[in-house]
Amino acid sequence: MARCGGDVSRHRKADLETVENLCQGLLDDVMLDDDKCRAMFGYLQEWPDLASMCHSASLGDPPLAPEASNGSGSSGGGGSFRKRRPDSCLEAKVRDLCIGCVTGLAAASRQLRLAEYLTDVCVCGKNFCQGESNSVCKRPRGKQQPCDPDQMVAVVGKGKRAGAKKKAELALPKDSPATSESTVTAGQKTDYIHVRARRGQATDSHSLAERVRRERISERMRYLQELVPGCNKVTGKAGMLDEIINYVQSLQKQVEFLSMKIAASNPVVNFNIVEDLFSRQLSQAACNPAALAAMAPPIGQAEPSCLQMAPLQQMQTPAGCPGFGLEMIVNNNLFSLAHGGSMSAAPAVSAPAGASVESCLNNVQGAAGWDIGSQSLFSGFDAPFQSVQSDCLLDNLKMEM
Amino acid sequence: MSSRRSSRGAISDEEINELISKLQSLLPNSRRRGSSQASTTKLLKETCNYIKSLHREVDDLSDRLSDLMSTMDHNSPGAEIVRSILRS
Repeated sequence: MARCGGDVSRHRKADLETVENLCQGLLDDVMLDDDKCRAMFGYLQEWPDLASMCHSASLGDPPLAPEASNGSGSSGGGGSFRKRRPDSCLEAKVRDLCIGCVTGLAAASRQLRLAEYLTDVCVCGKNFCQGESNSVCKRPRGKQQPCDPDQMVAVVGKGKRAGAKKKAELALPKDSPATSESTVTAGQKTDYIHVRARRGQATDSHSLAERVRRERISERMRYLQELVPGCNKVTGKAGMLDEIINYVQSLQKQVEFLSMKIAASNPVVNFNIVEDLFSRQLSQAACNPAALAAMAPPIGQAEPSCLQMAPLQQMQTPAGCPGFGLEMIVNNNLFSLAHGGSMSAAPAVSAPAGASVESCLNNVQGAAGWDIGSQSLFSGFDAPFQSVQSDCLLDNLKMEM
Repeated sequence: MSSRRSSRGAISDEEINELISKLQSLLPNSRRRGSSQASTTKLLKETCNYIKSLHREVDDLSDRLSDLMSTMDHNSPGAEIVRSILRS
């Protein structure tokens, strides 16, 4: 029993109620599905004054499902459509919103547009539900408005609409039985969707749905266009998509490059490996090669006097390793910067646990070798790392990998 | 990337679909196994969010790099490298 949305509003007060009733009726009857609800919210949000009204109107609404739109209250927040369920709560909310909006709308033309939009939306929704393929615009007999709202619409809404088309559509309703027409009351349902078509556009449900979908897509494309620099020069979907793809790829590479460089430049940390720090624990735990490799300063900090962590197992040149684990390691304060220490653990390395360590050391490529002497640590990393305990160190090592 | 257009200059649907699927493959969350045909709107929205997050990440990384710069020994070769990165 959807009513023809075309009967909406002239620029008169009376039409306010009409629109209101219309919206109410439309929303009552129609099962708005996900997409349509979303579209409607998006549409409603476009209008700032609508949005404020939506907000107030929405306050009294039944609670929505948690994933329902949060956009109802926000003005201009168009983008955040969460997952929605077309449940009755949502419908009620949308309904109330529309009514609230409509009543508050000053400009009749806006009312008109809203009603149009609702009609479109409702058409799609209802047609999806009912599988109605042809929706013909039929004027509800029950409405007060006679013929000329449609024509008024034609004039007001889209500037000289195809009056001819309207009339053609109008012709049909006159023939069709009134029962299929809408009744004003919200209680009955008909099989037909009443829609007022725009000029030059088809009225069947699929194309209307298509139209809504296209509008949404182009809205998103516009938004993307703002995001991606240089998109303005290109017009047309394919070109823009091209640009966007290129841009995303270049951003990805940039991120990758930056993070790699950060990781690489971090291990400009040289630390003293203390015997009891590592020798025991290295033998116990299978020290993750990656972690260790990451610690090697890939940047040519290959000072012989520096202690470099070499991968326990054979790995590629530490210099080449982007140190994927490194950042985490560094951030976890893995390095215990024992100060200045003359931690002469030199003999220690070869000592107890040494065997495994040694063999691994031999396998290291590009490492500057172990030099466990009293090396001054890089000042930059002193502060954060001072409190690291040895077990903490190794635990982190294990954890990271 | 060469833009492939039909002879008339119009953009065919397949091209667009191709581009769209390519975009989908770029996005981090796209399910590879029998990749579901995501609706274009969702895809575009995903792209928006992804681009924004990439922006944020780039900014964040650059900040960290410059912080790193400040803590490092100014004359070390590492610092030089970092400086060159930031310059680029």
